[in-house]
Amino acid sequence: MSDPSPLADAVDEAAASARAEGRTTLTEAEAKGLLSAVGVATPEFELAADPDAAVDAAERIGYPVVAKVSSPAVTHKSEWGDGAGVAVGLDGPEAVRRAAARIDEAAADRGIAASVLVESAVDVDAGTEVIVGGTNDPSFGPVTLVGLGGTFTEVYGDVAHRIAPVTEREAREAVTSLTAAPLLSGYRGRVPADLDALVDVVRTVGDLLDASPEIAEIDLNPVLAASDGATALDGLVVLSEADGAGDAEAGDAGGADR
Amino acid sequence: MDVGTLFHPRSIAVVGASSSPEKIGHEVMANLSRFDGRVYPVNPSADGELFGEPFVESIAAIDDPVDLAILAVPAGAVPDVVAECAAAGVSAVVIYAGGFAESGAEGERRQERIAETAAEHDVAVLGPNTSGFVIPGDGLLGSFASGIDELGAGDVAVIAQSGGVAHALAFQALREGRGLSAMVGLGNRVAVGFPEAIRYFDAHADTEAIVLHVEGTDRGRELLEACRAAETPVLAYKVGESDVGDFAESHTGALTGDHDLYVAGFEQYGVPTVSSTTELLDGATALAGGPVPDGPNVGVVTAQAGPGIIVADRIQRAGGRLPSLSDETEATLEELLPGITYADNPVDTGRPMPAFGDVVATVARDDAVDVVLVYELYEASIGLPVDRMEALVEAVDKPVLFATDGPDADVADDAAALESLGVPVLRTPERAADLAGVLARYGALRARDAADAEVVARE
Repeated sequence: MSDPSPLADAVDEAAASARAEGRTTLTEAEAKGLLSAVGVATPEFELAADPDAAVDAAERIGYPVVAKVSSPAVTHKSEWGDGAGVAVGLDGPEAVRRAAARIDEAAADRGIAASVLVESAVDVDAGTEVIVGGTNDPSFGPVTLVGLGGTFTEVYGDVAHRIAPVTEREAREAVTSLTAAPLLSGYRGRVPADLDALVDVVRTVGDLLDASPEIAEIDLNPVLAASDGATALDGLVVLSEADGAGDAEAGDAGGADR
Repeated sequence: MDVGTLFHPRSIAVVGASSSPEKIGHEVMANLSRFDGRVYPVNPSADGELFGEPFVESIAAIDDPVDLAILAVPAGAVPDVVAECAAAGVSAVVIYAGGFAESGAEGERRQERIAETAAEHDVAVLGPNTSGFVIPGDGLLGSFASGIDELGAGDVAVIAQSGGVAHALAFQALREGRGLSAMVGLGNRVAVGFPEAIRYFDAHADTEAIVLHVEGTDRGRELLEACRAAETPVLAYKVGESDVGDFAESHTGALTGDHDLYVAGFEQYGVPTVSSTTELLDGATALAGGPVPDGPNVGVVTAQAGPGIIVADRIQRAGGRLPSLSDETEATLEELLPGITYADNPVDTGRPMPAFGDVVATVARDDAVDVVLVYELYEASIGLPVDRMEALVEAVDKPVLFATDGPDADVADDAAALESLGVPVLRTPERAADLAGVLARYGALRARDAADAEVVARE
């Protein structure tokens, strides 16, 4: 944390379009661009304007790929457009073209502008899905979270919180305190995950929140913790309200005396 | 803001002082009768005197400087009286009344006015909505609670968000025959909050441990930083698993509850959290009165197997570890007790015996042990090994706790003798194990922070 300004600069850059358009939520592409800029691995991706461009992108990235709707108007991609929003396991140009066309049609039906995010497919069975996140808490300021990720994150609630920024030791303790920690360290013959890489992601998320008051929330879910690294497969970045909401009030409003 | 004149005033004015014994303005005057300084009763509609001091009609009418004003007036009058105090140069104010931010829009506006006055004139306001504070060692009883004058001086400072909890802890200490160095109910924290109080009592000469009761504060980060900066041991009781914040968009938001942040944050900043007022006071009393542990490892010696099993089980659930004892320790134990029942940890001697004190001392000397817990039912023919423990606590710089039981009349003298050596004596296996657990968690955090400091020093 000796020089936090590169992180803050990266946030400002990633947030520029959103701020200009009055959005507080970054698109997945913007969020992943930010992650790449600060050293968090993401699958290779390109944004494509139409089905032809999507196929070109897929050819460059290499099959199989995933196609996802990319639009400021869409937050929950997998539920959007009757399932059109996310297409996985696309192993050739025709599959990519069909998926991209479906996204286009669903966007046209709903009257929104959308492009297609084409992304290298990742074998999620090759690792453990983890959530890494952070918020700017009104009382504690930047805080981070790491936990068992994926679809059932909130069902299990297997998470550990820390006040950010976190040291290497604190990030590692947060990871190893999880009930699911054995899954990361080779439980029953699984290949152990690269814990150092995961610890780095936890630290980076905390550092981002600490460096930039622009960020209200970050949610990387899932991060795939595998033997060869930790890769953010999805990323949500919510910017703070521009009006500076949450300024300290006189006194301490939390919790009345009883 | 300087809270020095709040907690160590030279002179006090009680606004709303009353001759009617049923009013809190009378009770607080009675409680302040031991205070070693002038106490001015202020009441524009009263004549004569109260506890030997003539009534004055207003703060402004007092010629001499007043450090602290205690307001026993209704909520509606408070903002104006605080302004009068500030204008008269009073630098600390206690506000008992409720009816502020905790009770709707009008109350919030009143609190806002007080906050503005306090900020503008740098007044250390305690409250509103608190039953006050006491510093028994100074005879300073700034509380309207009856019976609080019975609380003696001690070495633990209670800083509670709730005045009610502060007093509950004070009376619990009293019932246990303990005193406190301070008891503070923060109430609505319009000016004086946890950070200010922690910093003050960290530097307070009579305070050797600080306990916190926390419901929730807007100043969580400052609270944690004050705890980390404190040299005095701090324990915290965070209550209320409140709802998560106003986050809807992310999983992270939905999973980040206030309570989780407090518990994780306290641990990160070196403060063990507890889950009862009993653990809070037991833990603080042990940390204040005896050596502090360097790690989480508990050596258990028991004269009876059954209670020893309860203790060993519960310590581990409370965050303590039961390390294996060294070969040297086990060899010495074999010599002391040929055919000993169980010479690993816990060490079970089977029954009280003359060598029991030596057994305890042998375990205490083992480098793997950070805390010693002894369980021994009281046997009149042998008693508790007071003399042996006196020598031990001089020689070994780690906490030693006893749990015992028997008729009070039999146990009392030996128990008091051990307590006076800084050896806490508990009367149930669970309470002793919980105390060992608190000490173990505190020791674990100290060991962790010491290791961190060593890493930093090497880099």
